[in-house]
Amino acid sequence: MLNMYLHELKQYRRITMIWIVSLVTTAALYMALYPSFAPQLDAMKKILENYPKVLLDALGVGPNVFLSFAGFYSIIMAYMMLAMSIQAMNLGTGIVAKEEHSHTAEFLLAKPVNRTQVLTAKLLAALTILLITNAFFMAAMWAEINFLADILIAGKIFILMTLTLFIVQLFFLGLGFLVSVTAPKIRSVLSISLSTVFVFYVIGVFDSIIGSKAVRYITPFKFFDNQYIINNGSYEPAFLVVEAVFLAAAFTAAYYFYLKRDIRTT
Amino acid sequence: MNVIETKKLTKYYGKSRGIIEVDINVEDGEIYGFIGPNGAGKSTTIRVLLSLIYATSGTATIFGKDVVKFGPEIKKEIGYLPGEVFYYDTMRVKDLLNYSASFYKKDCSKRIKELAGIMSLELDKRIDDLSYGNKKKVGIVLGLLHEPKLIILDEPTGGLDPLMQQTFFNLVREENKKGATVFLSSHILSEVQRLCDKVAIIKEGKIVKIEKMSDLAQSNYSKIKVESKAAIPEGYFDMAGVSGLKTENHSTTFMFKGDINSVTKKIAALDLVSLFVEEPDLEDIFLHYYQ
Repeated sequence: MLNMYLHELKQYRRITMIWIVSLVTTAALYMALYPSFAPQLDAMKKILENYPKVLLDALGVGPNVFLSFAGFYSIIMAYMMLAMSIQAMNLGTGIVAKEEHSHTAEFLLAKPVNRTQVLTAKLLAALTILLITNAFFMAAMWAEINFLADILIAGKIFILMTLTLFIVQLFFLGLGFLVSVTAPKIRSVLSISLSTVFVFYVIGVFDSIIGSKAVRYITPFKFFDNQYIINNGSYEPAFLVVEAVFLAAAFTAAYYFYLKRDIRTT
Repeated sequence: MNVIETKKLTKYYGKSRGIIEVDINVEDGEIYGFIGPNGAGKSTTIRVLLSLIYATSGTATIFGKDVVKFGPEIKKEIGYLPGEVFYYDTMRVKDLLNYSASFYKKDCSKRIKELAGIMSLELDKRIDDLSYGNKKKVGIVLGLLHEPKLIILDEPTGGLDPLMQQTFFNLVREENKKGATVFLSSHILSEVQRLCDKVAIIKEGKIVKIEKMSDLAQSNYSKIKVESKAAIPEGYFDMAGVSGLKTENHSTTFMFKGDINSVTKKIAALDLVSLFVEEPDLEDIFLHYYQ
């Protein structure tokens, strides 16, 4: 099984490096804007107060968002979360589907391995890829925070906020696995993952506008309220439970279907 | 001992037919041909044997073990060459071969070098830089590198030039002499005739005939096409051994079995434009042997 795991890591090495570089660069540039914002915080706040609340909610900009670096960082997280969800969904859908998509399933499954081993090797490889991405991302962000002047954020809050990215990625990884083993035929992994992630994102935007609490249980983009993390120094347990239940269900179903179904030729 | 044994093996894809009640027994050390037109169910049978797909009903065993329950164990001793070869495009040939070898708990490096030499394969090229024929060669090496006891070949010669086909057939024969059992599917009669001891003919998902190659060869039909300057009189070819006579304008086709001299004499008396004597293709076999 180790050979399949290493094979997957090698196959994804390039694309993962591209992801890491783009994510870190984007977030770093964003963050570099903060020092120029900081002196004008009061002015910013006044401008924002003149905006309609609905608009601000939809943009994910809370009332006190610019008051602290943590608030500013939470905006960066919102954008990174969208991008990294696409990475995770793409990975989850692709890592299984690519074997049938590029007709290599016949190669792999004619080997003396069972399908549980195949799926487990792929799952572990995907988890490793996401962990590496997040480790690089977190390290780079922390380095920049320490490098830029005038930035104050508690280490714990920083870690909790940055870690939401990984947890949301896990959600989409699970969803991707589930989709890849149940969808009848996947022509384009990218279009499936893009559209799925955007649907969840849009649901989240509507939640901000409607103000409905129920929607928070549906879309992982709303599992974590950064204001809550800043105030309480913790996650809301209910949503961690929702995530855990979803992941358990998604992966159980993925294994179940993958073991049972026919491998497609085309 | 039967290396492959299927009993009433049936596979439906939803409502569409794959194979219906296929019974085959491949004995140890045999080269077994599996022949039929495209879409007859050859690949379906092989894919069930490899548990890539699951049978709707019936059973299949390899080395006496159920193909689904003991899949991974059985596959240690199976070499498989798929009909259409696709591999990880960005890998180099040698990396792919080594990756494949890593699934078997034995050292295959010597055998890889040997086979690559025989098939004149360039090990440093990337898979996506290879032509289809060269990919097929990679597939052949992949199928043989762990010295399997059972070699399953699905339409193995498509894409290979005649010289390479010959090399490949020699390789298969050699493996067979060393004790490997070979299961070869094809829609080309001549290639099965050259290689196999026994042949099963499959048509529309059902086995229509299983015969020893020697028996099949004895009933050697020829397909004869005659084109003459003048119209051939009706009933001219009414003689023993002629079947499936068809006349269109000045050309006549029929199948012939028996003393070839009797028919060549008849043909010699005609004023010919052209004459073809061919080995019957599969289509003719189905039309004339099994109606």
